[in-house]
Amino acid sequence: MKSQIKILCYCTLAFALAGCAPSASTRPDTKGGAGSTPGAAGSGTDSRAGEGGRGGARESDTGASSLKQLQEGKSPITPGSSPLKDVYFDFDRYDLSADARTVLRANADWLKANSGARVEIEGHCDERGTNEYNLALGAKRAQAAREYLTSLGVAAGRLSTISYGEEIPVCKEQTDACWRQNRRARLVILQDRPTS
Amino acid sequence: MNKVILTLFCLLAFKLTAHAASYEIVGQGGQRFPVAVSPLKNLGASTGDSGRLSTGIADAMVHDLELSGWFRVLDRSAYIENAQSGITLGTFDFKDWSTIGAEGLVKGGFSVQGDEITVELRLFDVYQNKERIGKRYTGRVRDFRRIAHKFVDEIINQFTGIPGVFNTRIAYVSNSGGRFKEIYVSHLDGSEKFQVTNNRTINLSPAWSPDGKSVLYSSFKDRNQTLFLFELFSGKEIKFTPQGGGRYLSGKFSPDGQSIVATLESGGNTNLYLLDRSGKVVRRLTQDAGIEVSPAWSPDGKQIVYVSDRSGSPQIYILDLASGKSRRLSYSGNYNTSPEWSPRGDRIVYTGRIGNRFAIFTISADGGESRKLTSESFDSEDPTWSPDGRFIAFSSNRAGKYHLYVMQMSGDNQRRLTGSGGDDTKPNWSPRLD
Repeated sequence: MKSQIKILCYCTLAFALAGCAPSASTRPDTKGGAGSTPGAAGSGTDSRAGEGGRGGARESDTGASSLKQLQEGKSPITPGSSPLKDVYFDFDRYDLSADARTVLRANADWLKANSGARVEIEGHCDERGTNEYNLALGAKRAQAAREYLTSLGVAAGRLSTISYGEEIPVCKEQTDACWRQNRRARLVILQDRPTS
Repeated sequence: MNKVILTLFCLLAFKLTAHAASYEIVGQGGQRFPVAVSPLKNLGASTGDSGRLSTGIADAMVHDLELSGWFRVLDRSAYIENAQSGITLGTFDFKDWSTIGAEGLVKGGFSVQGDEITVELRLFDVYQNKERIGKRYTGRVRDFRRIAHKFVDEIINQFTGIPGVFNTRIAYVSNSGGRFKEIYVSHLDGSEKFQVTNNRTINLSPAWSPDGKSVLYSSFKDRNQTLFLFELFSGKEIKFTPQGGGRYLSGKFSPDGQSIVATLESGGNTNLYLLDRSGKVVRRLTQDAGIEVSPAWSPDGKQIVYVSDRSGSPQIYILDLASGKSRRLSYSGNYNTSPEWSPRGDRIVYTGRIGNRFAIFTISADGGESRKLTSESFDSEDPTWSPDGRFIAFSSNRAGKYHLYVMQMSGDNQRRLTGSGGDDTKPNWSPRLD
């Protein structure tokens, strides 16, 4: 699976912390210290958080919230360069598969290394079934991801959840492949919170 | 407000039927009562609007009569009566109508004074050469279709012993071909369409108050999903904020309008809560760690039908408010959601999954076998009862995009209501209006 390769790739990079952005030339100041203004590294959307969470983890690293993307007419897709990867679920399920746990462990590592980042976990569903049930199911998916991340040592206070049910799909065709992409928990960096 | 003046009194029904069982007598087995609806005569000063009103009122009645499934409206091009014929008994020849096969005949006239219209409508029995209903209505010219809906409700009362449900509105969600979901209300024929929300986010689950004056809906407009109560006449809106955190996913008014059952998601768990009209929590109704959603009231307000996944898949349950105990209602299928209790009390309609498709089912409130009402060659979802419990509106993608449809409670006579360029979903049928 392509996503698994990406995950492995990411893990390696996360540990090495060589800056996992495709364009490593814009690595931000990782030693900026407490006073550094988050996001001061110009307009670079691929600026990356530095070790220890003192750099600015940015909303643009993960893409904005799916609602904001919808409002701006953009796809709520998580960019391939995002340090926080989507996790996927089976139809009408909210338990975490082995794959999902692998992805979340990598996400947890990044979150622990970037302790300034506050993250909203979005629960999404495919279009099948009724809207309200899917809102509840999406909430379960987001919560399952949140609980696993906290069990791995990420502070619960940094993780909020929201469910968009089937309302903001990333793929709109009526195919199994498309539905699979929509049954996800997506992690979005809410804002910079530099350690002081 | 329309002022309805009853001028003439209806005599006997065409078919005197026992009140309780009468809804099943007409139109069963595909036999429909043949009626003609003559364009109305302008009885007042001639206006530029004359032609539009003459056929517009007739067309609105034709739409409703066809939608009911109980009538076959004869095509206007077959009408042979000459233009000099009148609209009252003795001023026209019943033979002009029996010849073309009409057994019932609707005739009427109107006059316009300023922005007010007066309409008189009559229903005749062509076989017996008698007048059955005669009524006069006044209202705003632009609301002329409402007058047509009210008269059809009278016609249906004559035939079935229960008034029709065409002077009602449907609240629904539409993306209008765009990416946002907004709430709309309109009459069943699509007229008087009004956009309730315009906040360019996601708005869901519209539900009428029992007085037909307000719509409760959930929205992401303030980022976190919660409930809003919108008053249609004043435009006033109340936001419901959960006191202990969490998000309201949906709410439904109790039949007496004094309470709301709401779905509250908190910490990943979704439970049912009883609220008062202002949104204050009265008590928590379910205590489950799973998913409890889609509540709807029994007509006596004593029970709530809802969806729970406590068995491992979404199924329909009934909660008795007095005892606090729930019983499982649906056992067939592994995905049953969005129940609504018939206003007649006997049946519950819901959405069930068949393979990768969804269909509308009904089941007795006492349990037992369910009846499938729609085909699994496409999806049908979100059923809602008419206020008399004889019809079900729902959304379906049988014509590509999701549109709203209406069918008889038997599943017969499925007809499309809306045709916007987008997806129309989540219909909720209003109570009867004034």
